[in-house]
Amino acid sequence: MTEALFAGMDQLFTLSTMATMLLGVVAGVIASAIPGFTITMAIVLTLPLTFTMAPLQGIATMLAVYVGGYSGGLISAALLGIPGTPSSVATTFDAFPMARSGQPGRALALGIWSSFFGALVSAIVLIIAAPPLAMIAVKLGAWEYFSLIIFAMTVVASLVGKSMLKGVMTGLLGLFIATVGADPMMGVARFTFDIDLLANGFPFLVVLIGIFAVSQLLQEVEDAEQTQHGKQLIPANVAFKPLDALRETLAYPINLIRSSLVGVFIGAVPGAGGSIANLLAYDQAKRASKTPEEFGTGTPEGVIASESGNSATSGGGLIPMIALGIPGSAVDAVLMASLMVHGIGIGPRLILDHGDLVYGMFMAMLLAAFMVLVVCLFSMRFFLRVTNVPRSVIVPVVLVCCVVGAFALNNRVTDIYLLLGVGIFGYILSKLDYPLAPLVLGVILGPIAETNLRRALMTDENWTLFFTRPISLTLLILAVVSVAFAIRQRLRQRPSEKTA
Amino acid sequence: MSSQAPLQQTRSSDRGADPDTRRANALAHLVLNGALVVLFATLFVHAGALPSSMWEPLGSGSFPRLVLAVLIMINLGIMVQEWRHYRSNTAAAPGLVRRWLWRHRLAFGVLALFALYIISVPALGFRLASLFFLVLAQLALGVRRPRSLAIAAVIAVTFSFGLDWLFRDVFIISLPRGPFS
Repeated sequence: MTEALFAGMDQLFTLSTMATMLLGVVAGVIASAIPGFTITMAIVLTLPLTFTMAPLQGIATMLAVYVGGYSGGLISAALLGIPGTPSSVATTFDAFPMARSGQPGRALALGIWSSFFGALVSAIVLIIAAPPLAMIAVKLGAWEYFSLIIFAMTVVASLVGKSMLKGVMTGLLGLFIATVGADPMMGVARFTFDIDLLANGFPFLVVLIGIFAVSQLLQEVEDAEQTQHGKQLIPANVAFKPLDALRETLAYPINLIRSSLVGVFIGAVPGAGGSIANLLAYDQAKRASKTPEEFGTGTPEGVIASESGNSATSGGGLIPMIALGIPGSAVDAVLMASLMVHGIGIGPRLILDHGDLVYGMFMAMLLAAFMVLVVCLFSMRFFLRVTNVPRSVIVPVVLVCCVVGAFALNNRVTDIYLLLGVGIFGYILSKLDYPLAPLVLGVILGPIAETNLRRALMTDENWTLFFTRPISLTLLILAVVSVAFAIRQRLRQRPSEKTA
Repeated sequence: MSSQAPLQQTRSSDRGADPDTRRANALAHLVLNGALVVLFATLFVHAGALPSSMWEPLGSGSFPRLVLAVLIMINLGIMVQEWRHYRSNTAAAPGLVRRWLWRHRLAFGVLALFALYIISVPALGFRLASLFFLVLAQLALGVRRPRSLAIAAVIAVTFSFGLDWLFRDVFIISLPRGPFS
């Protein structure tokens, strides 16, 4: 372990890696400060830039964007009341009233420190939890892996969106899309119908970019029609006192740690993530507070809970990815993709075969958290001005970047045609309230699920082994429980929706 | 990923608006899921013709067939749900589709430009196609004042010629060249 740690640090602490990480942090902060420009989009657009980098440099740069993104969302949340990313929705509840009451600098500084501590806690938990979990995961067989993917898909489908049926539908649609192209075991062409466009299947990055960037940008344009023009993002005078905010943040240690742990836990659950973590952490802080009535009026407790909660999901999301090879969110899926582009297989053996890379990633998380803190504290006023970019510029520029990202992966023009098709389909689905996250996870997990199912049955044709092997059975029971829990939750919500 | 979910819901939820929209939404679900059922059923039959293997009990077609079968059931389930919504809401006032299309004209305009851009990339090359797209899309999205037009021109050149240079000379990835390069 020590050897791998030092080898990872050796690769990480080079001038070029640290420079690209710094750029990544700046890009992440700016990108997620722009309303409508999500962390996922920022990460997706960073990916093609990392193709020519060494594996650790590439993934460290993307982690920097990731960690920076969770902090950047707070800027527009605090100053405009518009969450820069969905993971900073709860930040608007108190940071915005605080800013409106003449303390925008306090709101921002509290958010920055809370984000830093959240990211720090999550990196520590990641370092402690991921290696032992991976050691257990190495012992999993094809049966357990298939059951694990079933569990992950049910959790994702039941957590995301309003209708579980629609979540399951898009998840399965993702699984099907992954079957187009060459069969992973026999290499037989499936559903290609001798069409060049389909010959290589749907590369999951093209699906990811099309679904999350193109369809989202089209929705941004709808909003642009209703957006007030000339609204200033930055108030004229921002009094920024970071040391006072540090003292104030540390005055709520239990809130800080509890919210961070909520973030780590939610981040580790596939399909959950920052958008749920910040709301849950906020809710827990409100329940535990001596003055819950002050929540929503500009209390520092609310800002601390939301920002530490959402930043902590960054490390939490890496736990299932590193230990099990299951991406917890779209962002983790792109991180996974960046490793796969470099020919590095993802799964429980990752930590055994590429220990230096994994420990390098752990250290990159820590380093990124420190970089975000320094960058935000010293450049906040500058960022506030840079991020005031109109949508008429952002939308076309990001669409061009999407085309570059889709093309650069395989140098195939057909991939950009697929991008257009997937983007339009994603837009239609999102207009009809179908959650898109399960679709992307389905595309990623599809080949893993199919390969393991077929391997399991090749080893032993007895399909009851899925139900008789203890870990496999436990995972399948958990899948059923997650579905039952989601149905119960929805049935409970129905009467209140009707009365509303 | 899920980080997108709440935002999508708030932006795309037309359902909560009025009975007119609810009925139209239900109809859209019925059409989409109906089309998907037909597509998936066709693919299910097609998958049956995929070769099996003598080395494994499941052939190339088994997993896709399993997924397609469940998908068809779920699509039918959604159709039943939406049929109830469709029946429980009154008929939409005339002109709803026209109003909806008009409200989304900017998104459709940008989509049309984006489609043209993608089609023209192999023909014109990345640089020229991107330049035209960036100029036209910024104009479509409301850039009008002389200063904004100047900024739009700089952005168009930077993200067409500049991006091409960055990928070609720095990352050694050649973007489509086209006949004019």
